[in-house]
Amino acid sequence: MDFFITIIEQGLIYGILALGVYITYKILDFPDLTTDGSFPLGAAVTAALISRGVNPYMTLPIAFAAGALAGVCTGLIHVKGRVRDLLSGIIMMTALWTINLRIAGTSNVPLFSKETIFKNSFLEKLLPEAVQPYGTLIVIVILAAVTKLILDFYMKSKSGFLLRAVGDNEKLVTALARDQGNVKILGLAIANGLVALSGCIFCQEERVFEISMGTGAVVIGLASVIIGTSLFRNMTFMKATTAVVIGSVLYKACTAVAMRNFEPQDMKLITAALFLIVLLISMERRKKVKIDA
Amino acid sequence: MKTKTTAKVLGAALLTMALAGITTVYAEDQYTIGIEQFAEHGSLDNCREGFLEGLKEEGIEEGKNLTVDYKNAAADMGTCGQISDKFASDKVDLMVGIATPSAQSLYNAALEKEIPVIYTAVTDPVTAELADKDGNPVGEITGTSDKLPVKQQLEMIRQILPEAESIGIMYTTSEANSESAVKEYEALAEDYDFKIETAGITTTADIPLAAQTLMEKVDCMTNLTDNTVVSSLPTILEMANEAGIPVFGSEIEQVKLGCLAAEGLDYVELGRQTGKMAAQVLKGEKKASEFPFETIEEAAFYVNTAAAENLGIEIPEEMTDSAAEVFEEIAEAK
Repeated sequence: MDFFITIIEQGLIYGILALGVYITYKILDFPDLTTDGSFPLGAAVTAALISRGVNPYMTLPIAFAAGALAGVCTGLIHVKGRVRDLLSGIIMMTALWTINLRIAGTSNVPLFSKETIFKNSFLEKLLPEAVQPYGTLIVIVILAAVTKLILDFYMKSKSGFLLRAVGDNEKLVTALARDQGNVKILGLAIANGLVALSGCIFCQEERVFEISMGTGAVVIGLASVIIGTSLFRNMTFMKATTAVVIGSVLYKACTAVAMRNFEPQDMKLITAALFLIVLLISMERRKKVKIDA
Repeated sequence: MKTKTTAKVLGAALLTMALAGITTVYAEDQYTIGIEQFAEHGSLDNCREGFLEGLKEEGIEEGKNLTVDYKNAAADMGTCGQISDKFASDKVDLMVGIATPSAQSLYNAALEKEIPVIYTAVTDPVTAELADKDGNPVGEITGTSDKLPVKQQLEMIRQILPEAESIGIMYTTSEANSESAVKEYEALAEDYDFKIETAGITTTADIPLAAQTLMEKVDCMTNLTDNTVVSSLPTILEMANEAGIPVFGSEIEQVKLGCLAAEGLDYVELGRQTGKMAAQVLKGEKKASEFPFETIEEAAFYVNTAAAENLGIEIPEEMTDSAAEVFEEIAEAK
């Protein structure tokens, strides 16, 4: 039971990160490496605030804002500086390493003795005794659901429509007399805000900030997006955002299973193999559909 | 007839289950522990080896009355969390964290489960919030620290190099252990008339350039237990030899590989000490919260005479005489 709870918790936390990656990778068609820096950025901001006694719930919007700012920087470098997309992300990712160290003050900040969004006197009063052990899970489910719903709502707005258009058809945006550069910057801001929010939640769940926690974040995000969107390609009733979050839970489940049954050194290879299998299965399905048609 | 067979089968099944239940009850002295090591690393491997030896000396032996679930987090925080949660949900008798991030992650997972945690190779348990200001455990968690004997090291460098003015230290900015060690060096260096020059790196790829820059400025270098730097030690030593700059180590393995000398740690010994603490907790003689964290009792002096010869440095005889181990050749890196 605990095993599944852990997978869902971790999957949903990284699901928010995956939503961010979904915006850049799928919607904007922008390979954004800023992610590896904005994930720990959210955590660094959170650790710095919580250790100074700020209310843990306040860290959520602040971390989002910090991530959004990083996204804006990447966007400006790319749009205004005319630097290639991949490079703009790399530049910001590199810069964020130092910025994160400066914000957190040191490379490792423990938060064991502090109140977090998962452990605080308010929550202890609110939740009945029997539900207490599932407190963390409940908070994560609520956060992930709310984030996803807000994002869905935004996508339906005029601004969200433009965002979706930029990736598909830049000319359309220009034809609508909008500056597609600005729309791109906005998209990167939202995406990295989500990634930082995910880092903020992760840091409070693990109760420690560690500078290296962002390493590989973009890979986890991409894997989740690809697993989610390709597995549920044909389920039209399901929103892409839902698919992405489920993809993240599945990815975490893959790594958990690999960890249980194989030697630690083989972990990465097994995860890669599982990832590939999921991809191949979903490709198969697409082919069948084509034959039918 | 059919029902009878079914009943028989069911009965047999029940009996087996009951018996199985009994065997688990009787095998009271069976222990299961989960070991989480943060990264693949020589010193940390030595720690683990020593730990199991320490347990064995107390009569708890792997394969006999001990089951060990060993996991390596491959230096990834996310994996750390997953391993810790796995151990906690398996309800192991004791969790062992090797290196700071693993210890913190295990402690986080253990908070609600009431599983004791023993750690080792944590340089500063107080800053890591695993112990309070007086060194007492913050919960069911204790262990050993691999804090470097900085004072003895500086004393030794002064003795071997009476003329040296500055010491260079290369460290990874992401490693909290190294950061606190550098601070300690900077605080104590003045007492021995040394100036400390540091070079911070983020990955292995930065090492050649950082080493080059550092070596132009300093008279000698000293190593910490920095994971990234230590794993590139052969590269650094080669460059140092060309520049004629002595490099001091921080533990036995580094001296074996060609560092000039070290007032250092023996990680196998550190692990053994930790293993003995764990044995007390497992046997129920003491609770983890009842003993403060320990550091290794005494630093040992290691010297490599082949390295000294290469550099044309004479090690005072009284020093080699008091050495815990003298290496006469430079070992190949594993």
